[in-house]
Amino acid sequence: MDPVSTATASPSGLLLAGSVAAIAASLWLLLPKASDTVASRRLGFLLGAVALVGFAATGRSLGSVGEDAVFLTVAGIAVISGLATIVTRSPVYSAIWFAMTLAGVSGVLLVLGAQFLGVATIVVYAGAILVMFLFVLMLAQPSGMAPYDRVSNEPMLAAAAGAVLLGLLTLSIGRLSAAEPPSCCRMPSRAQAVAAAAPADGAAAKADESTTLIAPAMAGGDTGDANEVAHLGAELFGRHLFAVEVAGVLLLVALVGAIAVVSRGEATETDHRREGR
Amino acid sequence: MQSSAANLLVLVPLLPLLGAIGTVLLGRRLGPRAHLPAVAGIGAAAVVALLLLLGTANQVGAGHGDPLRPAEPVEMITTLWQWATVGDARSGDLATTGHGGLSAPVAPGTANNGGAFSIPIALRLDPLTATLLTIITGVGLLVAIYSIGYMHDDPGYPRFFALVAMFVFSMSMLVAASNFLLVYVFWEAVGACSYLLIGFWYTKPEAARAAKKAFLVNRVGDFGLAIATFLLWMTYGTLDFHDTHLADGTIVEGILGQIRLADEAGYVGGAVGTAICLLMLLAACGKSAQMPLHVWLPDAMEGPTPASALIHAATMVTAGIYLITRSAPLFVGCPGALAMVSIVGATTALVAALIATVQNDLKRVLAYSTISQLGYMFVALGTGTMLGFTAAIFHLVTHAFFKALLFLGAGSVMHAMGGVIDMRRFGGLRHVMPITAGTFLVGAFALAGVPPFAGFFSKDEILATLHAKAHPEAHGSDHAEAGSAGERPRDLAGGVGLVASVPVRPFRPGSMITRVSLSDAHDVSHGAHDVSHEKVGLDALDHPSTWRLLFWMSLLTAGLTAFYTFRAVFMTFTGPVRVPKEAGHHAHESPPAMTTPLLVLAVLSALAGLVLFVTNALSSFLAATPSLTAPAVARTAVPHVFHWDIAIQGTLAAAIGIAVAAIGHLGRRSDSPQLERYLGPLGTLFANKFYFDQIYAALIVKPLEALAMVTAFFDRAIVDGTVDAIGQVPLAWGSAIRRMQSGLVQRYALAGVVGVLAIVLALAWQLRP
Amino acid sequence: MIPATMLTNALLVGAVLFCLGLVGILTRRNLIVMFLSAELMLQGVSVTLVAWSRYHGDWGGQVLVVFVLTVAACEAAVALVFVLQAFASTGRLDASAWQALREENLPRVIDHELPADDRVVPTWPHLSPAGVLPEGDDSRSLERDHV
Repeated sequence: MDPVSTATASPSGLLLAGSVAAIAASLWLLLPKASDTVASRRLGFLLGAVALVGFAATGRSLGSVGEDAVFLTVAGIAVISGLATIVTRSPVYSAIWFAMTLAGVSGVLLVLGAQFLGVATIVVYAGAILVMFLFVLMLAQPSGMAPYDRVSNEPMLAAAAGAVLLGLLTLSIGRLSAAEPPSCCRMPSRAQAVAAAAPADGAAAKADESTTLIAPAMAGGDTGDANEVAHLGAELFGRHLFAVEVAGVLLLVALVGAIAVVSRGEATETDHRREGR
Repeated sequence: MQSSAANLLVLVPLLPLLGAIGTVLLGRRLGPRAHLPAVAGIGAAAVVALLLLLGTANQVGAGHGDPLRPAEPVEMITTLWQWATVGDARSGDLATTGHGGLSAPVAPGTANNGGAFSIPIALRLDPLTATLLTIITGVGLLVAIYSIGYMHDDPGYPRFFALVAMFVFSMSMLVAASNFLLVYVFWEAVGACSYLLIGFWYTKPEAARAAKKAFLVNRVGDFGLAIATFLLWMTYGTLDFHDTHLADGTIVEGILGQIRLADEAGYVGGAVGTAICLLMLLAACGKSAQMPLHVWLPDAMEGPTPASALIHAATMVTAGIYLITRSAPLFVGCPGALAMVSIVGATTALVAALIATVQNDLKRVLAYSTISQLGYMFVALGTGTMLGFTAAIFHLVTHAFFKALLFLGAGSVMHAMGGVIDMRRFGGLRHVMPITAGTFLVGAFALAGVPPFAGFFSKDEILATLHAKAHPEAHGSDHAEAGSAGERPRDLAGGVGLVASVPVRPFRPGSMITRVSLSDAHDVSHGAHDVSHEKVGLDALDHPSTWRLLFWMSLLTAGLTAFYTFRAVFMTFTGPVRVPKEAGHHAHESPPAMTTPLLVLAVLSALAGLVLFVTNALSSFLAATPSLTAPAVARTAVPHVFHWDIAIQGTLAAAIGIAVAAIGHLGRRSDSPQLERYLGPLGTLFANKFYFDQIYAALIVKPLEALAMVTAFFDRAIVDGTVDAIGQVPLAWGSAIRRMQSGLVQRYALAGVVGVLAIVLALAWQLRP
Repeated sequence: MIPATMLTNALLVGAVLFCLGLVGILTRRNLIVMFLSAELMLQGVSVTLVAWSRYHGDWGGQVLVVFVLTVAACEAAVALVFVLQAFASTGRLDASAWQALREENLPRVIDHELPADDRVVPTWPHLSPAGVLPEGDDSRSLERDHV
């Protein structure tokens, strides 16, 4: 709980501006265009690398990234794969690069100490959602790169917009670390609030159970918390039980809806084909 | 007794109204019996009106035989409810604050009102109202019965009867209302009914045009009545006819209330009084089709014939006569305005008669005849004497009978001829439809003024009253104070001399009125007049020479009336039998529903005049009307005598007219050459109705159309142009921006991101350290 | 709990992922890739949420990420169905093919001349059929001809 005020000063404007320009140019060069050449793409990769280094440097000035090699690695994987996801022409490769991104993000989450989410990202996203994407791709576009995969909409404008937004976000993150955190960020954590409220509730009957499950969190459960999954589960099925139920219903509805739409679409499709014959 | 009479009085308008509502609600269901509610309502109202007439006559008293003794006013007021009440309507009034350009003189006895403005729904019953109610409901009933036959296969059958009943309601209210604003309301209501009935066959272009014309021309007159009402209120502080006894013991003096009537100085003369009277005259000209507003009446004959008989001959067109008679005390204070009434009337009578001489359309002849006869009544009113007013109403009554008879007869002819009304296309109809021919002949005799038919006596009285005005010295023995101007009581020119002659003011019980003293009233009300006995301005018209001219004009009109009436009779009913091919199987006598009213009216036309004249019942009855008991009117009463000299002149004129008509038309084919070929260019002038329509078109319609075109151009080009130009700005923006609506989802998303970016930038700028 | 430096680093990673996803969704025309980009943005948000959650020691952020996962799954299921439907009606996965909601009288936007479709359809050697042919829908070839 070290005050953020001890963090280093805000990133130098020049570095940030340069990084933003570089990432914008890189994105523009890398995004699929009809006029693409090998040279332009190489330049794009080069600029992208420069920009990433620039941002890494920004991050270094923000904190001490270099001290955590694991974080640097997984973050790099996530970011580079993310870039590749959006610039690769073949959608199948895009999907695979996205799987890599997920791996990287999962790593980041693990480093952050959210073990359950790290695993869940892999399991749910890479294991289920992404596979679904690939299935769809196989059904819809079995023949690889279509012509529209090789052009982009407004690449320059979009790249500029994205880069400027990234610059602004970085700037504000820098401010955040530079300045005394605003009062909103200093409010007592939820766990502490619950801890404060628990005796007042006077729920003596549940005292044992809740003490065993929540106590570490109340104590300010830390990175290496062995019971992280248990705490998250208690949180989910305790305070957020109703939301969980709703989410379950949502899943069911989505399932039924998807099946209904698909089956009706299939029916009309076959009808069309019969009439066509 | 009083309350039962009040209840009966309410029934007279109420029953036709219920009849109208019943017809509207049940008309479709009743089908061919749709006339039942209306006829029942009007019939019941007619019975009630007759009862009221008898009751009022009883009240006036049979013993009242001496015409020179002023009659006791007889009136009964029943106030149903207050329509509107305004506490202090005069607070911002220029007249009381005493500055501003318009400072109307305030009549004595108006300050008592405290500026309160209230409109009671008050009905009155007096001899004038009782007479007119009887005429309206009686003729209305006959016309309604006649219409059962006449309109029998018309698709708008229920609508017609609803309108007729509605008209009877409105007209009853008009003559029974005891308030100028109510009079104005029902003045408009009868105008609306007239409009609807003229345009009854609204798919017929001529009818629609005629209805529009009648309505528009009447607006001119209505405008006059509206302004007159405003002036009356400013001058007298109330619009009620009657006196109102307030709860706190004060009395609001009505304009025609007994307190003011008894007061020689109760009425304002001078410029304001004359203005009020002339504006009322304008209103009367509109409704009663007097020159220059007479142009609508001949065209109004496009409506169904029963409507023409009821509204445009017998009842509604007499509203002007009623208004002037009712306001007689106002008029007698303004000799100039009175003279104008007579001049307008005589001119109209003569011009309309001249036009009627060359018309070939039977209904149109009757229409011009109506205008002419109404002019006669105006002439009588304009004399401003008791005999004049009663003669006008006498002629109104007889005219209602014989003109309704003639119109219904013409309708019968038209019905039989399959809608053809051009007299040149048929002839000898007395063999085809004897009842119609006989009754029509009676009506013609009455109209022509042949003794002893009704028209003779009423016309004779009018000529007599004119003669008295024209030769005051000759009638000096008869007339107490026949119109020598300087002695008019409220002639403010002679206001100083008046003061001495004012009798002791009558005692007013319970009156807490603070009156403006007479000299004060004189000062305020005395507008443009010098204190001299010389007549200036309009009042100079009131001179015996004027009246002599008017007398001869009227006599000439009498001869012309006889001529055109019998020209029509000879063309239609004599000569070889000819029937137009449109008649088909219709060429026979009309059904009993139509002939019965004809017979009733024929009897009335033949006998009413004689009976009423010999007994002098109507005149002495009417003399008890509050308006006519004003001293200025009452003292002009003359003994009831038969003027042989005038009767002979009138009869002679009629005989000459009939003789000329007989020479020209008796026994000839109606399409043979006419007498008017001897008239040369004059005939053309008459046939073209003195080019009134053309003159109006050139003087009023065309300039207005030109103005309208200019205005329309201004509106379209400049006003609309400006608005359109303003509209073009967002349109231009829109057409520029609409290109962004490409339907491409990613462009929309991009636009959204740019917006988010802008917001984030703005926030970052605001939160900068 | 994580230190503030870790928080800012994680936030930076989240921001980069989010912006990359944003650029992807704005530029790429393939519906599938657009969805992948959207998922990328969700990943960025997830990282941010978890970072704050860990920094504050509050479970709310992680709970929210769980729900994000759930909703993402639903969204993917439904959206992919619609993508399939769209493909069934146009035969393409091109987002720019859908312009029916544009303003009246405007021409279709063709922002780029699409490059020629140079996908080579390879011809495979076929064995001559032997025996009875299975009943099947030969209009729908199940082989992939290209990756």
